[in-house]
Amino acid sequence: MKPMKKVEVVIDSIYLSRVLEVLEKTGVSGYTVIRDALGKGERGIMAGDELTDVFKNSYVFTVCSEEIAQKIAESLRPLLKKVGGVCLISDVLWLTH
Amino acid sequence: MGLELLLQNILNPPVLMFFLGLGAVLLRTELEVPQPLPKLFSLYLLIAIGLHGGYELSKSGITLDVLKVLLLAMFMAVAVPIYAFFILRLKLDVYNAVAIAATYGSISAVTFITAGSFLNSLGESYGGYMVAAMTLMESPAIVIGLVLLMLFAKRNNNSAVNWGEVLREAFLNPSVYILMGTLLIGFLTGEKGWKAMDPLFGVLFKGMLAFFLLDMGIVAGRRIGDIKKVGLFLIAFGVFLPVFNALVGIFLAKSFGFVKGDAFMFSILCASASYIAVPAAMRLSVPEANPSLYVTMSLAITFPFNIAVGIPLYYFLINHLWG
Repeated sequence: MKPMKKVEVVIDSIYLSRVLEVLEKTGVSGYTVIRDALGKGERGIMAGDELTDVFKNSYVFTVCSEEIAQKIAESLRPLLKKVGGVCLISDVLWLTH
Repeated sequence: MGLELLLQNILNPPVLMFFLGLGAVLLRTELEVPQPLPKLFSLYLLIAIGLHGGYELSKSGITLDVLKVLLLAMFMAVAVPIYAFFILRLKLDVYNAVAIAATYGSISAVTFITAGSFLNSLGESYGGYMVAAMTLMESPAIVIGLVLLMLFAKRNNNSAVNWGEVLREAFLNPSVYILMGTLLIGFLTGEKGWKAMDPLFGVLFKGMLAFFLLDMGIVAGRRIGDIKKVGLFLIAFGVFLPVFNALVGIFLAKSFGFVKGDAFMFSILCASASYIAVPAAMRLSVPEANPSLYVTMSLAITFPFNIAVGIPLYYFLINHLWG
């Protein structure tokens, strides 16, 4: 098993494509997206019941090296500051196969 | 306003379904419409209205009168967000004022469709080109909103608007795209095309509208709690601005010699507020604005007001003026 970093992002669905762009640019090899993420945050309840997706979050996670995780964090900070959202980075063990 | 007219509007299954949905939330039943379906219904309604409008347009052709309607529609789509902005600035910051002004400058297709259904129940009709007018009125408010933002907001450079992205959202958002596309298909295929589509998009229309409005009632009901957060000024704005816009629309329609049905649908377009295209665009371009203000206002205040009171009220005035 290999020590890696897990990056998790919860963001307004409207901005999902921006987050994915950041991931692509920083060179992650893959990621997982759960589109309909509901909940409550600093911008109120995200009930996901609108036709617009204005009140809906998406959840993205990826596993990468520490260096890439740093780059992702730096690139996402201005976006998160502007539009809200959450980015968590944690230590994980990756099962090599 | 005639009580009969009010009843004629309310006692219409789709409108009652809206209130059924609203009641479901207020009475805490667990009723809900499974989530992807409302999107299908809204797509269905847009396709139906586009195809039918295109077919009607193919019958009437594009005349000088039609162009006059389209130009006035564009004019209102530009004028409403500007004066709405300055009214809102009395109480709000620039960001929220821009977002709400854009919401009210654009239109609600479902209000338009519900009004069309009301008009049909009275045995009257409107020109198919009103659908083209509706399509034209969806986007300008978004652009005007952003121009107002540039003029009045003090922003630092790294939060500048990405114009490409926002213009794309304004003019190529799904509802504008599908309306323009189906309008064109309806126009090109004419009567033969409409006959082929009629079983799905004509005969079933009212039933689908009822289903969609049931969901709208549920969604609006869930937002009713947010009305408290919106505050008295914005609640009043959400009721009086549509009436004012409708009056301006009626005045213009009378001055430029619209026929009765067109004048009514035009006043509805002026009065309605967007809850699909504009919120999505505003979330992208004005993230500083609070969506629970502009979405709540358009969905939980203006939309129910228009379909319950606005529709018979504007019709009453027009009926009086046009005779």
